[in-house]
Amino acid sequence: MNVLIIEDEKSLSHEIEIFLTEQGYHCDVAFNGRVASERIFVNTYDFILLDLGLPDMNGLSLLGEAKKAGSEAAIIILTARGELEDKVKGLEMGADDYLAKPFALAELFARMQAITRRKHGLTNTVMKISEFEMDLNNRMVTHNGDAINLTKKEFDLMNYLALNKNRVLTRMQLSEHIWGDVLEEEFDSNFIDVHIKNLRKKLSAKGSIDWIETVRGIGYRANLD
Amino acid sequence: MKLQVKLAIYNALSKAVVVLAIGLILPIIVQTVVYNHIDKRLRARADKVMILIQRGGLNEIKMEQDCSFESFNILKEEFVQIVPLLTNPVNGFSVNYTNETLHIESELLNHRVLKQAFMFDNQFYELTVGEGLSAVEQLNRTINRFTLIVLIVVLIVFVFFDLYFARLALKPLNMIISKKLIKINSPTSYDFNTIPTNTSEFKLLNSSLDQLMHSLKQTFQNEREFIGNVSHELLTPLSILQTRFDNIVADEKTPEPIAEKLIESQKSIIRLTKIIRALLLISKIENKQYLRNDSLSLKDQVNEVLSEVEERIEAKKITIENQCQIDLVLHKVNRSLIHNLFFNLINNAIKYNKQEGSIIIKSVLEKDFVELSIKDSGVGMNEEELDKIFDRFKRFHSGGEEGYGLGMPIVKTICDFHGIEISFLSSPNHGTEVLLKIPVDQ
Repeated sequence: MNVLIIEDEKSLSHEIEIFLTEQGYHCDVAFNGRVASERIFVNTYDFILLDLGLPDMNGLSLLGEAKKAGSEAAIIILTARGELEDKVKGLEMGADDYLAKPFALAELFARMQAITRRKHGLTNTVMKISEFEMDLNNRMVTHNGDAINLTKKEFDLMNYLALNKNRVLTRMQLSEHIWGDVLEEEFDSNFIDVHIKNLRKKLSAKGSIDWIETVRGIGYRANLD
Repeated sequence: MKLQVKLAIYNALSKAVVVLAIGLILPIIVQTVVYNHIDKRLRARADKVMILIQRGGLNEIKMEQDCSFESFNILKEEFVQIVPLLTNPVNGFSVNYTNETLHIESELLNHRVLKQAFMFDNQFYELTVGEGLSAVEQLNRTINRFTLIVLIVVLIVFVFFDLYFARLALKPLNMIISKKLIKINSPTSYDFNTIPTNTSEFKLLNSSLDQLMHSLKQTFQNEREFIGNVSHELLTPLSILQTRFDNIVADEKTPEPIAEKLIESQKSIIRLTKIIRALLLISKIENKQYLRNDSLSLKDQVNEVLSEVEERIEAKKITIENQCQIDLVLHKVNRSLIHNLFFNLINNAIKYNKQEGSIIIKSVLEKDFVELSIKDSGVGMNEEELDKIFDRFKRFHSGGEEGYGLGMPIVKTICDFHGIEISFLSSPNHGTEVLLKIPVDQ
């Protein structure tokens, strides 16, 4: 899958590039609107990560240009300006998602996965996770057809770990994914352990859970093929 | 009271006073004038009688010595009477005009009467010349009534005319009020179109308001840009650090102790991020960047927050009662801000609660507001703490857990934005009750 990263902050685009390349994406980078515009016309992308605060043009007009040019890329807006109007306008103009900086790379990846699933319709809604099947449409986890009764948070944790497979997720990243942007320091990150414990208990009653690894002092990792 | 109504009332009252005054004075004037005329006529007749007597003696008027003489015209409207006086006249020979009611042939008739004494042949006589008043009085009454009716009609016509003119003259003012003042709480909802008027005061008012709003709009715009820039300048470096640390922690080659330290550092990044976001949130609300066009169920919203903090509730074994009325719907609010408000309040109720404490949330629908009460069984606050509850970065350590000290300032800002009145009932060790008066007039 091809990704165009449009971000004038070179260090940031570099870190995103490293991460996405590792996840198997092919990345192009544009540091300004002019280059980005050229790239969009010449190449076909699956994703465009768009920073709104570009030095030479407004990100939103670039978004409009891309849509006009018939680009079918999914567009995720990345911005640190935090203007509510930009978010609303961006989504109205056809952007697929919006992430406020700073964001966790795991979160970006989860959003990209969610968009991919949406775009490809119903074909891809059941995820195979080790011995378990996760039905994303009905929010159900089954083991050989046996339903496992997970809470919303347990389901989201399992999904997030599986999406970011073979990669350590810190408690902080997990709790940010579950609770979003809440104004509490270390809000509930210790509760993540409780949820993981419950998740493990429920899953191990049906099948093997060796794939959920506790990385001591850091967090958790789903070791999957 | 509206200015237009005031003006109309003032006009009507002043005209009514004039009409009343005319109504009172007019009969007096009319009467005086009429009496003047009659008196002149009586005088002329008296003079004529005197001339007759002087020329031909009493015989001239067929009167005998020492006898009375009376002459009436056929309708008893006029009469002349000469009566011999036994004594000297009281008033000498001066002329007196009086009104008298005379009993003439079983009829009581009002007359204007002239009395004058004179001497003839060494004998005093009194001459009385009279004229009936009934016709004149009738006429007087007619004139007065007619005048009064005309005046009242004129008054009514003028009141309506004044009302119409006041409305016409005040129309630009009303338009300025309805289009430029009412329900304008930020420059974004202000109408910059000029209201057509040729009244110089209204022109001035219009242009002053426009100018004021224009500069306010500019200030808002600058503030908005400033918030955006600060936000960008602070959050961009943080996001570089955040993503870089993400990558290093995820790297297999990173030794575990270093990864752990990086995660600790990431906590600082997140802490900083959240403080910046909280401050920006306050600024954005104050800068009216949020819309108020959501409707939401109070009970559902509370339940949503409760499910988000269920781990905390369970960890402290707190019993929760959500007694909010099921059908209460809040209109014209911002969903995410109301969520944030409830989250902060409920989270505080948990944070400052005791182990196995309780939280009772209930709502009461009053006439024009909903009262929401969140009552905990926690540590409570003393007066000093209550006074400083909305201070930024003020933290209370009694709970043993620390926040950023921005939760309550955010609560206050969100309440102000929605016109919600917030108050606290609290004393140390007796828990805290937060009361929200949420307006429902919309």
